[in-house]
Amino acid sequence: MAGPETNTQFRLTGIRKYFNSYTLTGRMNCVLATYGGIALMVSYFKSRSKKTPAVKAT
Amino acid sequence: MNENLFTSFTTPTMMGLPIVVLIIMFPSILFPSPSRLINNRLVSLQQWLVQLTSKQMLAIHSHKGQTWALMLMSLILFIGSTNLLGLLPHSFTPTTQLSMNLGMAIPLWAGTVVTGFRYKTKASLAHFLPQGTPIPLIPMLVIIETISLFIQPVALAVRLTANITAGHLFMHLIGGAALALTNISASIALITFIILILLTILEFTVALIQAYVFTLLVSLYLHDNT
Repeated sequence: MAGPETNTQFRLTGIRKYFNSYTLTGRMNCVLATYGGIALMVSYFKSRSKKTPAVKAT
Repeated sequence: MNENLFTSFTTPTMMGLPIVVLIIMFPSILFPSPSRLINNRLVSLQQWLVQLTSKQMLAIHSHKGQTWALMLMSLILFIGSTNLLGLLPHSFTPTTQLSMNLGMAIPLWAGTVVTGFRYKTKASLAHFLPQGTPIPLIPMLVIIETISLFIQPVALAVRLTANITAGHLFMHLIGGAALALTNISASIALITFIILILLTILEFTVALIQAYVFTLLVSLYLHDNT
């Protein structure tokens, strides 16, 4: 595999400059974004299960 | 004669005390430390073997990776000698125990990963996403790469355990079959005995190959992280 590519080689602009699968920074940011998204989903579903009662009172 | 097929894999005891620690330490007395400039034949042979193995294994490493030379050489010598000693009849082989192999694999793998995250954090994180991945596949591939990273130490340990255990079991079975067939049919017993000899030769090679594969994979994980 070739060495780490830089942005100048690919001329990426906008959000693709920071989130892409070609440069080292882009790949790192995509990985961190994926982990952050998973963490957010887990915390959302955990807080939702705490608020929703297991058994509804009749 | 063993009571059943698996008695050779139980933790050995002497007068009720477990002696597994002594058995694990035993191969080290087969490798005397060189104490002179020009040593005796055994030590010279061992030095030559270690030099040959270390040159071949450490050629791909950078300066940082080569600081692991002592660890890798000790690992291959320990696993190789333990596996070979386990081929002696009625002996206990520590590398048939998953606990021991996990105890070797997990710290070594964790050491390489921590080294990678400490000295090359960006590259280590970027390693979870292969270059050129299409955008819709990125989250799935990151998850798959993370799982494959955590599978590595388990695969290392289970590979060694399964290979050595299966080989010993197979030898036990074929040996028992050869013995049982001597009263039934001498010719078939002879064929079974020849198969047993070929299997024993195979087990010698498997013992050395598994030691090499374990150490090579640890070396490759280190190379990825240094």
